[in-house]
Amino acid sequence: MTFRAAWSLTLRQGGLGIRGIHSPGSTAHGKEKMPPYTNYHAQRSYPMPEEPFCMELNAEQRALKEKEKGSWTQLSHAEKVARLLIWWQRVYVFRKKPITLTDEWKAQQLQRILDMKGNPVQGLASRWDYERKEWKK
Amino acid sequence: MAYPMQLGFQDATSPIMEELLHFHDHTLMIVFLISSLVLYIISLMLTTKLTHTSTMDAQEVETIWTILPAIILILIALPSLRILYMMDEINNPSLTVKTMGHQWYWSYEYTDYEDLSFDSYMIPTSELKPGELRLLEVDNRIVLPMEMTIRMLVSSEDVLHSWAVPSLGLKTDAIPGRLNQTTLMSTRPGLYYG
Repeated sequence: MTFRAAWSLTLRQGGLGIRGIHSPGSTAHGKEKMPPYTNYHAQRSYPMPEEPFCMELNAEQRALKEKEKGSWTQLSHAEKVARLLIWWQRVYVFRKKPITLTDEWKAQQLQRILDMKGNPVQGLASRWDYERKEWKK
Repeated sequence: MAYPMQLGFQDATSPIMEELLHFHDHTLMIVFLISSLVLYIISLMLTTKLTHTSTMDAQEVETIWTILPAIILILIALPSLRILYMMDEINNPSLTVKTMGHQWYWSYEYTDYEDLSFDSYMIPTSELKPGELRLLEVDNRIVLPMEMTIRMLVSSEDVLHSWAVPSLGLKTDAIPGRLNQTTLMSTRPGLYYG
């Protein structure tokens, strides 16, 4: 039930994350792709690849989504695996980052730490030259 | 506070934390020495063609590798005990501040001269002003005078909590039904997170 909830939550939010990179092949549409379910290179030796499995649904996947609104027993095994992968990646691998990890915020945080002279003895503020307003060489 | 790409501890704000930093350097050096020695010996063992299959006893080396670890342990224990006793010295604090842990905020009470008590909640990520530190900022900070010994009495109203400020080398458990005491002495002004 939480599976369904997470899925419908994502659909409501519209986009599925920052990266819109499609995977090289389509997800398993059921008929032709067998394990390792798709062209997606999920290997045990390389479990966390850079690009997401798929963060946006292309046409076949929308069809898949439509199909899953019916009875789930009609989905083939590979389709179920595809759904699971999409959800798993969204929750555990490519999660939504907090606003404080954007570059602008990180720069402001750094400026704040330097302003309050945090760790001035040997840490960060000790490496900043306050007269010349640049990092010490 | 912690800064990006930090490797060691935060800079010490209190004399105890300075001692702890030195002790950590000393112990880590011993640990590195032992580990590199062991790694070296293992690599020697694995890359030699010499064998000796008729070893009967090895009294000398056994003596060495019994006495030497004992000496190393004493070398670690003596500074450690020194700091432990230093933390418990009587230092006549000039101020007493009480802090009570709740789920999930701290409340502070300054009752020496006039009664002052307030709650200190963490600022949620969605309400942070630009540049503030996530999960560290609070709405009401505890303000203490510097270069004065301060007694902190830490307890809890509901479950176990722990009141810690890494720069000052403090961590005291807040246990419901129990009053724990720690002393604090800051040598420089600033904002310290914990």
